[in-house]
Amino acid sequence: MKSKSPAWPTLSRIVAALIGGYLFTYAFTAALARLLPMDKVDALVVASLPSFLIYTLAILWTFACRNAWRAWAGMALALPLAAIGFWPQWREVLG
Amino acid sequence: MKHKTLTQSMAWLHTWSGLIFGWLLFAIFLTGTLAVFDKEIDGWMRPEIPATSLSQSAAAQQALGYLARQHPQAKTWNIGLPGERSDTLTVSAGEQRRGGGTALDPRTGEPLAVRETAGGGFFFRFHFTLNLPRDLGIWTVGLAAMAMLVALISGIVIHKKFFKDFFTFRPAKGQRSWLDAHNATAVLVLPFHLMITYTGLVIFYLIYMPAAVDALFDGDRDNLGRALRGAPAEQQVRGERPTRSEAAELTALEPLLAEAERAMGPVSSLSIHNPGRSNARIEARPVLGNRIELTKGQSMLFDGVSGEVLRQPAVSRPSLLTQKVMAGLHFAQFGGYSMRWLYFVCGLASCAMLATGVVLFTVKRRRRHDGEGAVGALLYHIAERLNVTVVAGLMVACVAFLWANRLLPVELAQRGGWEVRVFFLVWLLSLGHAIIRPWRSAWREQLGLAAALCISLPALSLLGESLGDYLYLELTSVALGLLLAWPCWKLYQAPKERAPRRVGKQPVAQVN
Repeated sequence: MKSKSPAWPTLSRIVAALIGGYLFTYAFTAALARLLPMDKVDALVVASLPSFLIYTLAILWTFACRNAWRAWAGMALALPLAAIGFWPQWREVLG
Repeated sequence: MKHKTLTQSMAWLHTWSGLIFGWLLFAIFLTGTLAVFDKEIDGWMRPEIPATSLSQSAAAQQALGYLARQHPQAKTWNIGLPGERSDTLTVSAGEQRRGGGTALDPRTGEPLAVRETAGGGFFFRFHFTLNLPRDLGIWTVGLAAMAMLVALISGIVIHKKFFKDFFTFRPAKGQRSWLDAHNATAVLVLPFHLMITYTGLVIFYLIYMPAAVDALFDGDRDNLGRALRGAPAEQQVRGERPTRSEAAELTALEPLLAEAERAMGPVSSLSIHNPGRSNARIEARPVLGNRIELTKGQSMLFDGVSGEVLRQPAVSRPSLLTQKVMAGLHFAQFGGYSMRWLYFVCGLASCAMLATGVVLFTVKRRRRHDGEGAVGALLYHIAERLNVTVVAGLMVACVAFLWANRLLPVELAQRGGWEVRVFFLVWLLSLGHAIIRPWRSAWREQLGLAAALCISLPALSLLGESLGDYLYLELTSVALGLLLAWPCWKLYQAPKERAPRRVGKQPVAQVN
């Protein structure tokens, strides 16, 4: 099964899973920590503890996708999530 | 990879993540399983330390006597107390709390000449750093743990007859048996696999996933540390004024230890600040695992003259308590010896699951790699060699490490470092051996060597004077040796390999 398919879609998928999945999880955790209506410390712990589950699911999802493009598209959700998570920091940068 | 169904893509993911990280994971799980008994192994590796039934306060009194004689001027005295799992009494003066100190004979209060050794802590450190530089090691192990989670979940997805396979074992049927063994060990202790992998990641969760720290604390670790601890540390220590102090007698340790034990459970160590002065403070730290919560860094502070409690142990807020309980579930310090044995046996099952998994990969391909071209054949050969080295070779290296502890000359400089070098040299030799020998002989010889070294381990105690009591450790070693002798014996029984590798059409290669 390995030799028949070209290598690069597989490689693209592995990168999407490892790097894209991590960035997605990072952004998701930041957004969740920002949105949880709790004390800062509690929000930090509650958002961070399930992050490994999120990462696992993101990796599985990338490989379950019909093609690598869809996998990348899903990972692009990281952008709006990061915008929520780092909203105050970004507002500061924008002035 | 072009797969039509979910099962196919999950099977692909399971196979490759499992193979590539399976070797690493086996090393992590095997050393982790041994680290369940790190203190006991450590005791075995320091046979000069006598078994003792002395009470903690009597031992602490001996330590105080020694410290007063040797370090009357020191700012801080530290005492590591013997406990349920260890007979070791250590003392040190000055700020450094970690890194051993001087071992004392609890009966006489005189220093013991204990051999220099890497100790049982080697398995513990290897388990989470692979003996690499700390950060690199932690990230590598974290990546492997993620691969384990991915392989576990994808394994569950591709496993259709979950409960039926639970009761299925078809022995001596080649590939089927390997698959059944892999399934059985995976399914049987699946909750353990999931729990131990996830809680392992949770220990360093803010290192692996600093997103929330970056978002809410701008990545400021000091600020976060203060927020996690609650109030600033200075405020918690009541009455700590830098006033002049005069000489004063230290309070009796026995009631103080009793009070600390009542509040926190068994005590592991004491620090005495400003000993012999009127502003003396005594800090008592609990043994890890008086409760499920990982109580690392917890302590209780006493006035060193009046014996009055100045600070009770901190109570974690619910969110942090959750994290500490998860970390504690991984450290397996709670529940005493019965819990330790449960973790040990489950850990061995995890090792068996990983080992059967990587072996299954090669067994499956033994009859079809010829059709996969040069790359497939090369990969298959590498996998076959690495299987022997990682599974059997690592076990030989672990026992060789214990043998080195008794056989290396006691006066050798940097002795602990040499023990570790023996471990890695033996492991390297096992790789060389696996490359030059036919695979079946390589398996047989390395498993046989590991079994022989385990079974004869108790004989090492006859070599020199050993004062401890190692009955359980030696029995366990012999039992593990017998367990390893079984597959080795099966390999002798199996028919000699028929004209290796040329036969592509041969149906199913018999493995055992």
